[in-house]
Amino acid sequence: MPTTADTPQRFDALAAILALAFPGAGHWFLGERKRAGLICAGVLGLFLTGLLVGGIDVVDSKEDRWWFVGQALVGPVAFGTDYVHQNRIKGIDPRTGALRSANPDETRDGTGRLMPALGGQRPPATKSLGKMNELGTLFACIAGMMNLIVVLDAAFPGRREERA
Amino acid sequence: MTGSVLWALAWRPFLDPIDAHGWWFLLVVPMSFGIAVVYRAARMQTLEGYWRRVLVLTAQIVVSMVLLGIASYVFVQVVVPALAPMPD
Repeated sequence: MPTTADTPQRFDALAAILALAFPGAGHWFLGERKRAGLICAGVLGLFLTGLLVGGIDVVDSKEDRWWFVGQALVGPVAFGTDYVHQNRIKGIDPRTGALRSANPDETRDGTGRLMPALGGQRPPATKSLGKMNELGTLFACIAGMMNLIVVLDAAFPGRREERA
Repeated sequence: MTGSVLWALAWRPFLDPIDAHGWWFLLVVPMSFGIAVVYRAARMQTLEGYWRRVLVLTAQIVVSMVLLGIASYVFVQVVVPALAPMPD
Protein backbone atom coordinates (compact mmCIF):
# COMPACT_ATOMS: atom_id res chain seq x y z
CA MET A 1 0.00 0.00 0.00
CA PRO A 2 1.51 3.36 -0.92
CA THR A 3 2.25 5.73 1.92
CA THR A 4 1.44 9.42 2.01
CA ALA A 5 5.08 10.30 1.29
CA ASP A 6 5.41 8.32 -1.96
CA THR A 7 1.88 8.96 -3.32
CA PRO A 8 2.14 11.24 -6.33
CA GLN A 9 0.33 14.54 -5.89
CA ARG A 10 -2.60 15.14 -8.20
CA PHE A 11 -5.17 17.88 -8.34
CA ASP A 12 -8.76 17.19 -9.34
CA ALA A 13 -10.51 20.52 -9.96
CA LEU A 14 -13.83 19.00 -11.00
CA ALA A 15 -14.04 16.92 -7.82
CA ALA A 16 -13.33 20.05 -5.77
CA ILE A 17 -16.05 22.02 -7.56
CA LEU A 18 -18.54 19.18 -7.10
CA ALA A 19 -17.61 18.93 -3.41
CA LEU A 20 -18.36 22.64 -3.05
CA ALA A 21 -21.63 22.28 -4.97
CA PHE A 22 -22.98 19.58 -2.66
CA PRO A 23 -21.34 17.88 0.33
CA GLY A 24 -19.99 14.48 -0.71
CA ALA A 25 -20.51 14.99 -4.47
CA GLY A 26 -16.76 15.28 -5.05
CA HIS A 27 -16.04 11.89 -3.51
CA TRP A 28 -19.04 10.40 -5.32
CA PHE A 29 -17.46 11.61 -8.57
CA LEU A 30 -14.16 9.99 -7.56
CA GLY A 31 -15.98 6.68 -7.15
CA GLU A 32 -15.89 6.62 -3.34
CA ARG A 33 -19.61 6.19 -2.81
CA LYS A 34 -19.58 5.07 0.82
CA ARG A 35 -17.20 7.87 1.82
CA ALA A 36 -19.43 10.34 -0.06
CA GLY A 37 -22.50 9.18 1.84
CA LEU A 38 -20.77 9.53 5.20
CA ILE A 39 -19.51 13.01 4.31
CA CYS A 40 -22.94 14.11 3.08
CA ALA A 41 -24.62 12.80 6.23
CA GLY A 42 -22.03 14.44 8.47
CA VAL A 43 -21.93 17.88 6.86
CA LEU A 44 -25.68 18.17 6.27
CA GLY A 45 -26.30 16.64 9.70
CA LEU A 46 -24.25 19.39 11.36
CA PHE A 47 -25.89 22.10 9.24
CA LEU A 48 -29.45 20.88 9.84
CA THR A 49 -28.79 20.36 13.54
CA GLY A 50 -27.75 24.02 13.66
CA LEU A 51 -31.02 25.02 12.03
CA LEU A 52 -32.94 22.76 14.40
CA VAL A 53 -31.23 24.22 17.48
CA GLY A 54 -31.37 27.90 16.60
CA GLY A 55 -34.00 28.06 13.87
CA ILE A 56 -33.45 29.57 10.44
CA ASP A 57 -32.30 32.77 12.15
CA VAL A 58 -28.79 31.27 12.54
CA VAL A 59 -28.12 31.56 8.79
CA ASP A 60 -28.17 35.27 8.04
CA SER A 61 -25.76 36.86 5.54
CA LYS A 62 -26.91 40.35 6.48
CA GLU A 63 -26.82 40.33 10.29
CA ASP A 64 -24.15 37.64 10.86
CA ARG A 65 -21.92 38.24 7.86
CA TRP A 66 -18.70 36.71 9.23
CA TRP A 67 -20.44 33.61 10.52
CA PHE A 68 -22.08 33.26 7.12
CA VAL A 69 -18.64 33.22 5.47
CA GLY A 70 -17.97 29.95 7.28
CA GLN A 71 -21.48 28.62 6.72
CA ALA A 72 -21.27 29.41 2.99
CA LEU A 73 -18.63 26.67 2.62
CA VAL A 74 -21.48 24.14 2.85
CA GLY A 75 -22.34 25.36 -0.65
CA PRO A 76 -25.63 26.20 -2.36
CA VAL A 77 -27.56 24.65 0.53
CA ALA A 78 -26.37 27.50 2.77
CA PHE A 79 -27.07 30.14 0.13
CA GLY A 80 -30.54 28.69 -0.45
CA THR A 81 -31.27 28.74 3.28
CA ASP A 82 -30.12 32.35 3.47
CA TYR A 83 -32.24 33.25 0.45
CA VAL A 84 -35.35 31.79 2.10
CA HIS A 85 -34.49 33.62 5.33
CA GLN A 86 -34.02 36.99 3.62
CA ASN A 87 -36.96 36.74 1.18
CA ARG A 88 -39.57 34.50 2.81
CA ILE A 89 -39.02 34.94 6.54
CA LYS A 90 -37.88 38.51 7.08
CA GLY A 91 -40.28 41.33 6.34
CA ILE A 92 -40.22 45.00 5.38
CA ASP A 93 -40.49 47.41 8.27
CA PRO A 94 -43.49 49.70 7.44
CA ARG A 95 -41.79 52.74 8.98
CA THR A 96 -38.23 52.49 7.70
CA GLY A 97 -38.66 50.22 4.67
CA ALA A 98 -35.73 48.12 5.90
CA LEU A 99 -35.72 44.32 5.88
CA ARG A 100 -35.78 42.82 9.37
CA SER A 101 -37.00 39.88 11.42
CA ALA A 102 -40.52 40.13 12.75
CA ASN A 103 -41.01 40.91 16.44
CA PRO A 104 -42.99 38.37 18.51
CA ASP A 105 -46.16 40.49 18.17
CA GLU A 106 -45.83 40.95 14.39
CA THR A 107 -46.54 38.85 11.33
CA ARG A 108 -45.82 39.14 7.60
CA ASP A 109 -48.52 39.88 5.03
CA GLY A 110 -48.64 38.60 1.45
CA THR A 111 -46.58 41.49 0.12
CA GLY A 112 -43.77 40.91 2.61
CA ARG A 113 -44.58 43.86 4.88
CA LEU A 114 -44.57 43.42 8.62
CA MET A 115 -47.83 44.14 10.41
CA PRO A 116 -49.26 43.67 13.92
CA ALA A 117 -50.32 40.07 14.52
CA LEU A 118 -54.01 39.46 15.06
CA GLY A 119 -55.35 36.70 17.28
CA GLY A 120 -53.62 33.39 16.57
CA GLN A 121 -51.16 34.85 14.08
CA ARG A 122 -47.44 34.36 14.66
CA PRO A 123 -44.24 35.73 13.15
CA PRO A 124 -42.88 33.66 10.21
CA ALA A 125 -40.00 32.52 12.46
CA THR A 126 -38.79 33.18 15.97
CA LYS A 127 -35.52 35.05 16.35
CA SER A 128 -33.18 32.91 18.44
CA LEU A 129 -31.29 34.50 21.30
CA GLY A 130 -28.49 33.60 23.70
CA LYS A 131 -27.06 30.10 23.80
CA MET A 132 -29.49 28.69 21.20
CA ASN A 133 -28.41 31.29 18.66
CA GLU A 134 -24.73 30.84 19.48
CA LEU A 135 -24.85 27.05 19.26
CA GLY A 136 -27.02 26.93 16.15
CA THR A 137 -24.72 29.40 14.40
CA LEU A 138 -21.68 27.41 15.51
CA PHE A 139 -23.13 24.08 14.29
CA ALA A 140 -23.82 25.55 10.83
CA CYS A 141 -20.40 27.23 10.68
CA ILE A 142 -18.59 24.04 11.71
CA ALA A 143 -20.49 22.23 8.93
CA GLY A 144 -18.94 24.70 6.46
CA MET A 145 -15.46 24.36 7.94
CA MET A 146 -15.66 20.57 7.78
CA ASN A 147 -16.80 20.79 4.17
CA LEU A 148 -13.65 22.82 3.45
CA ILE A 149 -11.59 19.83 4.63
CA VAL A 150 -13.75 17.64 2.37
CA VAL A 151 -13.20 19.94 -0.63
CA LEU A 152 -9.43 19.85 -0.08
CA ASP A 153 -9.52 16.06 0.25
CA ALA A 154 -11.50 15.75 -2.99
CA ALA A 155 -9.11 18.14 -4.74
CA PHE A 156 -5.97 16.31 -3.55
CA PRO A 157 -7.09 12.70 -3.03
CA GLY A 158 -3.50 11.41 -2.87
CA ARG A 159 -2.76 13.33 0.32
CA ARG A 160 -4.96 11.17 2.56
CA GLU A 161 -3.17 10.08 5.72
CA GLU A 162 -2.01 6.49 6.21
CA ARG A 163 -3.05 6.29 9.88
CA ALA A 164 -5.64 8.87 10.88
CA MET B 1 -51.17 21.73 30.29
CA THR B 2 -47.75 22.77 31.49
CA GLY B 3 -45.74 25.48 29.82
CA SER B 4 -43.25 23.05 28.29
CA VAL B 5 -46.05 21.00 26.68
CA LEU B 6 -47.62 24.14 25.25
CA TRP B 7 -44.21 25.21 23.97
CA ALA B 8 -43.64 21.83 22.30
CA LEU B 9 -47.03 22.00 20.57
CA ALA B 10 -46.30 25.50 19.26
CA TRP B 11 -42.72 24.73 18.19
CA ARG B 12 -42.06 24.86 14.46
CA PRO B 13 -38.90 22.87 13.55
CA PHE B 14 -36.23 24.88 11.70
CA LEU B 15 -38.21 28.10 12.25
CA ASP B 16 -38.18 28.37 16.04
CA PRO B 17 -35.18 27.66 18.28
CA ILE B 18 -35.39 24.71 20.65
CA ASP B 19 -35.72 25.32 24.38
CA ALA B 20 -32.43 23.81 25.51
CA HIS B 21 -31.32 26.58 27.86
CA GLY B 22 -31.10 24.07 30.72
CA TRP B 23 -29.03 21.46 28.89
CA TRP B 24 -27.27 23.35 26.11
CA PHE B 25 -23.86 21.97 27.14
CA LEU B 26 -24.98 18.44 26.11
CA LEU B 27 -25.06 19.64 22.50
CA VAL B 28 -21.27 19.28 22.49
CA VAL B 29 -21.85 15.52 22.01
CA PRO B 30 -23.74 15.68 18.66
CA MET B 31 -21.41 18.45 17.54
CA SER B 32 -18.33 16.34 18.27
CA PHE B 33 -19.95 13.30 16.65
CA GLY B 34 -20.68 15.28 13.46
CA ILE B 35 -17.12 16.58 13.33
CA ALA B 36 -15.75 13.06 13.83
CA VAL B 37 -18.01 11.55 11.14
CA VAL B 38 -16.83 14.04 8.51
CA TYR B 39 -13.17 14.16 9.55
CA ARG B 40 -12.70 10.41 9.67
CA ALA B 41 -14.59 9.93 6.38
CA ALA B 42 -12.35 12.46 4.66
CA ARG B 43 -9.02 11.53 6.17
CA MET B 44 -8.92 7.75 6.63
CA GLN B 45 -7.24 5.95 3.76
CA THR B 46 -9.62 3.00 4.04
CA LEU B 47 -12.90 2.93 5.96
CA GLU B 48 -11.91 -0.19 7.89
CA GLY B 49 -12.77 0.31 11.59
CA TYR B 50 -14.46 3.60 10.71
CA TRP B 51 -17.16 3.72 13.39
CA ARG B 52 -14.83 2.68 16.19
CA ARG B 53 -12.47 5.52 15.29
CA VAL B 54 -15.39 7.94 14.95
CA LEU B 55 -16.46 7.10 18.51
CA VAL B 56 -12.89 7.44 19.79
CA LEU B 57 -12.51 10.89 18.17
CA THR B 58 -15.93 11.95 19.51
CA ALA B 59 -14.86 10.95 23.01
CA GLN B 60 -11.52 12.73 22.59
CA ILE B 61 -13.23 15.99 21.58
CA VAL B 62 -15.80 15.81 24.40
CA VAL B 63 -13.17 15.02 27.05
CA SER B 64 -10.92 17.79 25.70
CA MET B 65 -13.76 20.30 25.88
CA VAL B 66 -14.57 19.26 29.46
CA LEU B 67 -10.89 19.58 30.45
CA LEU B 68 -10.68 23.00 28.77
CA GLY B 69 -13.80 24.05 30.68
CA ILE B 70 -12.27 22.89 33.98
CA ALA B 71 -8.98 24.67 33.15
CA SER B 72 -10.86 27.90 32.33
CA TYR B 73 -12.82 27.64 35.59
CA VAL B 74 -9.66 27.10 37.65
CA PHE B 75 -7.90 29.98 35.89
CA VAL B 76 -10.75 32.45 36.44
CA GLN B 77 -11.79 31.32 39.92
CA VAL B 78 -8.41 30.39 41.47
CA VAL B 79 -5.42 31.66 39.51
CA VAL B 80 -6.62 35.18 38.70
CA PRO B 81 -7.83 35.93 42.29
CA ALA B 82 -4.48 34.61 43.58
CA LEU B 83 -2.53 36.84 41.21
CA ALA B 84 -4.67 39.93 41.67
CA PRO B 85 -6.70 39.71 44.90
CA MET B 86 -9.73 41.95 45.13
CA PRO B 87 -9.35 44.68 47.76
CA ASP B 88 -11.54 44.20 50.85
